[in-house]
Amino acid sequence: MSLIHLLLFPGGLFLLLVGLLYQWLDRKLVARYQNRIGPRLFQPLADTVKLLAKEEIVPHGVHRGLFVILPVIGLASALTAALYVPMVGFAPAYSFNGDLIVTVYLLSVLTLALGLAGANTLDRFSLVGATRTLTQLFSYEAPFLLALLGPSLIVGTWQIGEINAYAAKNLWLIVTQPIGFVVALVGLMGKLELPPFDAPEAETEIVSGAMTEYSGRGYAIFRLGKDVELVIGLTLVAAFYLGGLSNPLEFILKTLAILLVMAGLQSLFARLRIDQTVGLWWRLGALLALIQLLIILVVKVAL
Amino acid sequence: MSAMEHERTVDVECPTVWQKALMALKTWARVNSPWVIHFNSGSCNGCDIEILATLTPRYDLERIGVKLQGSPRHADILICTGPVTRQARERLLRTYAQMPEPKFVVAVGSCGLSGGVFHGSYNIVGGIDEVLPVDAYIPGCPPRPEAIIYGVATLLESLKNKQEKG
Repeated sequence: MSLIHLLLFPGGLFLLLVGLLYQWLDRKLVARYQNRIGPRLFQPLADTVKLLAKEEIVPHGVHRGLFVILPVIGLASALTAALYVPMVGFAPAYSFNGDLIVTVYLLSVLTLALGLAGANTLDRFSLVGATRTLTQLFSYEAPFLLALLGPSLIVGTWQIGEINAYAAKNLWLIVTQPIGFVVALVGLMGKLELPPFDAPEAETEIVSGAMTEYSGRGYAIFRLGKDVELVIGLTLVAAFYLGGLSNPLEFILKTLAILLVMAGLQSLFARLRIDQTVGLWWRLGALLALIQLLIILVVKVAL
Repeated sequence: MSAMEHERTVDVECPTVWQKALMALKTWARVNSPWVIHFNSGSCNGCDIEILATLTPRYDLERIGVKLQGSPRHADILICTGPVTRQARERLLRTYAQMPEPKFVVAVGSCGLSGGVFHGSYNIVGGIDEVLPVDAYIPGCPPRPEAIIYGVATLLESLKNKQEKG
């Protein structure tokens, strides 16, 4: 049973395919916002197969083992995180008190792997990209976690499944905690390094950041990891703030709604400099999340 | 030796059904996901502006899977413009060497094809094919975006045909 959970659903094969599908949706939506036609449905699959079939160049001066294993670790941890979220509206495959923290950590491992992979090479663009990746990690992670903390404080548990069940039964938490929702949504964009938070892989300045030296397989796996993280992030935010996920239809509609907003924000804003990103998160994001927490605590005590 | 010749020898050595299916899958992916990198080896920028125009939303090359990549490590097709100057020759060779196999070169513009009006200059090596194995030539001074798209599409079509012939 656990093998099925790991390899087929919700981890493994299913999640990879859904990840590719959501990558296509994201690209297509951005294309439509920009008045383009956009990629075809199989485009992410063709990209991935092509990258997997390409030669993998291991540049001079890197630690060979790390170079090969880091993308795998990143993808594996992202896939593992799927076991604790209500994927497609079904109950999480595994659940224990505190799995919210574990999930957030597992999602961060991909970013850490990316940062290490960049720092592992001698290439200057990779090094700058790695520095920016890790700097961004330190800026969005705290507000994002604080934003997810709001619903869990209301429910009084660290268990994603229970928060999901609570959200399904009560008023949508986006209504009672609008600030938390905004911080969580923008935090997710920061986590996925989507525009305007794509300074770590700004191709006009630093080629493609930490992934500059990766060709073929490693690059394909990092991209897959990002797609998986996108699906899990959307699931988390939808489960917490948009009234929970109790069936596949709800899952599709709610994650699509968030993706629509996210694609709009992506095509609306220009890229922020890394210092602007950090400033935005710590001056504004963390402050807003803290105010939200304060309101929740006051209301909870008062009631 | 170009990449396709290399693959054909592999195909001849082990022509099992599975390997043929795998090759067909690889070719399908390759034809449908050509990521390009753009290199200017001494062009007057006329062709470069046309290439940038090709990548704008008006032509929307993401429709056929084309993406402009910054890193040669991620690219499949090297789009070169201009005659190769002696200064740029080493850089062009290095950029080409940094790309992973299989890789293809497209020469854009009259200068890229032969050196154009700069042919025979003291500081010019010649056309792109003096330095690299070119897979597709796109003439014009500068070629229109439609011509560039047609050239890349022809290259992809030839990949497909080569695979079908085996």
